Amino acid sequence: MRLGDNLRIALRGLNANKLRSALTMLGVLIGVGAVIILIAVGTGSSNAVQAQINSLGTNTLTVFNRGSFGFGTTSGVTQTKPVVLTLSDLQQIQDRRLAPDVVSASPVISTSVTATYQTATASSVSVIGTTPHYLAADDYTVQAGSTLTSEEVTNAVQDVLIGQTVAQDLFGVGGDPLGATILLNGASFKVVGVLASKGTSGITNQDNVVIAPYTAVQNQLTGEASTFSQLLVQAKSSAAIPAAEAEVEQVLATSENTTVANLPFTVTSASQLLSTAQSTSSTFTTLLAAVAGISLLVGGIGVMNIMLVSVSERTREIGIRKAIGAPKGAILGQFLIEAVVLSLIGAVLGVVVGVVGSQFKITGVQPAIAPYSIFLAFGVAIGIGVFFGFYPANRAASLRPIEALRYE
Amino acid sequence: MTGPDRRRPVIALWNVAKDYAAGENVVHALRRVSLVVEPGDFVAIMGASGSGKSTLMNVIGCLDVPTSGYYWLDGVDVRTLDEAALAVVRSRKIGFVFQAFNLIPRTTALANVELPLVYAGVHRAERRDRAMAALAAVGLAGRELHLPSALSGGQQQRVAIARALVTNPALLLADEPTGNLDSSSQADVMALFSQVSQLGRTIVLITHEHDVAQYAKRIVRVRDGEIVEDVRVVPVGQPPPRHLPGYDPTVAVRVPPTGAVTAT
Repeated sequence: MRLGDNLRIALRGLNANKLRSALTMLGVLIGVGAVIILIAVGTGSSNAVQAQINSLGTNTLTVFNRGSFGFGTTSGVTQTKPVVLTLSDLQQIQDRRLAPDVVSASPVISTSVTATYQTATASSVSVIGTTPHYLAADDYTVQAGSTLTSEEVTNAVQDVLIGQTVAQDLFGVGGDPLGATILLNGASFKVVGVLASKGTSGITNQDNVVIAPYTAVQNQLTGEASTFSQLLVQAKSSAAIPAAEAEVEQVLATSENTTVANLPFTVTSASQLLSTAQSTSSTFTTLLAAVAGISLLVGGIGVMNIMLVSVSERTREIGIRKAIGAPKGAILGQFLIEAVVLSLIGAVLGVVVGVVGSQFKITGVQPAIAPYSIFLAFGVAIGIGVFFGFYPANRAASLRPIEALRYE
Repeated sequence: MTGPDRRRPVIALWNVAKDYAAGENVVHALRRVSLVVEPGDFVAIMGASGSGKSTLMNVIGCLDVPTSGYYWLDGVDVRTLDEAALAVVRSRKIGFVFQAFNLIPRTTALANVELPLVYAGVHRAERRDRAMAALAAVGLAGRELHLPSALSGGQQQRVAIARALVTNPALLLADEPTGNLDSSSQADVMALFSQVSQLGRTIVLITHEHDVAQYAKRIVRVRDGEIVEDVRVVPVGQPPPRHLPGYDPTVAVRVPPTGAVTAT
């Protein structure tokens, strides 16, 4: 009894019941296809998140005042006055000799206001009080009008750049905001430029924003002199991030007269954000793969079910085969090969469907096929064929010929 | 191709018994049956339903193992064999012909005839040649690629006979081979058995029909699990009765004296 003969007999068996064979294959096909597509969606969305974070600028560091996260004090340290980021901190970070890997540092004062223009109102607009460097560091570009200048910062000129959302809310689509004076919580600011759209980052709409000189924001809106909630530091390159981070921490530690370990500030980089986001999206991918894996398992149970039906339906045939001399191994081989061929063909078609299906956008995500998922799904499908095929095949092979022949 | 050993009995049963448990009772399907079949013989085993003839056929065909007694098939003591070895014995020594033809459905006549050779591990080209020859020998040349469903009952039984003979077995074992056939197909198939017997094959045929038994050289009657009568019609070395030169179907042949006998 050769493998080729076994294969031929098994194929003949499958061919004899085309519809049933096709439906069984469909189960495996859907399982394999689902694994490939869902893993591709997971990978694709992870890629999208990564691209979004890259657009935030991977060569920037953000320095937070820990107090800005809520509970002011560092544990064990009693502070007589709240430690804040000051102008002198900013100037020292900007000093090339102290921090050679830093290109620029911009202060950030953020608050939220209601903006009005004539009768139009935009609420919960983020105000960023900063310096001109901020725009480059945070990837903002001016679409129309002019950008902010250092003079405006020095003189606390009440000029603003407005984001697309704010422009639409206040001036309508196609309105011309340049030169108009808008009120931010009652203080008047002149619109000098409109920012290009940046889209959303997570839940934050990065276009619902106005950017103004920090001096003007302090004077008109927050009232705190020369203290900042954040500093945005741009490093020379993304490779220089760790060096820049160390330099910034050292500068701040010296200035606050403390050690880096006890620094009352938090320095984070976009790459940290990236790794957090990646771990989130890998959880997401695993979840999708698990769902797909279950459908593959269900497909496998379908194979077993059909093979059991096939065995009991062909009991008589098994009896005939045994009576004319088929050894146990030949019957086992025949049904096992039938099961494996079913899942093999299902898996091949599933890979085709998975690869084709991954070419389309699914809920706004462009799926990216992970090569490992193809081999994984394929291998598991074959394994399922063997595993779920073995029981029915063994049952067939163990039938006693006399009973099988008597079976009607 | 080696012919059957002329000196060794094909079947030697000695004190064979077979019991079945039916609930709390034990059914003695066979009690102390002894039977020797020589090479070249054509034996009809006759009996009514429930007489034990089917059990006897299962034992002879190695489909069932006797509860006690001895059985040598072509010199092999089959009592000692396990399931796998029995499969080999069935494959090498016995060709089965069943009442219900038992061809594999949706499989061509040729593939059906090739199947025992497949299980015996014969090469593809050789088994094709042998299967073609076997089909030609039963008069089905040109119908090799027909499916069983496209063949008449008589033709299906011929395919089954070809399948049984293709491995050149020591014994051709037929269980009511004409039970599902009309009378003209029956005569047709029985003529084929006579022809096969004439070629020197050993045939054991199970039947309850006198018409069919009349083709055999020897008639064994079974009742209540025992052999009650064993009549030799024609010596082993001679052609079967319906194959004698000058055979005339209108003349009644000699039949066993018991039972309702009608000449055909």
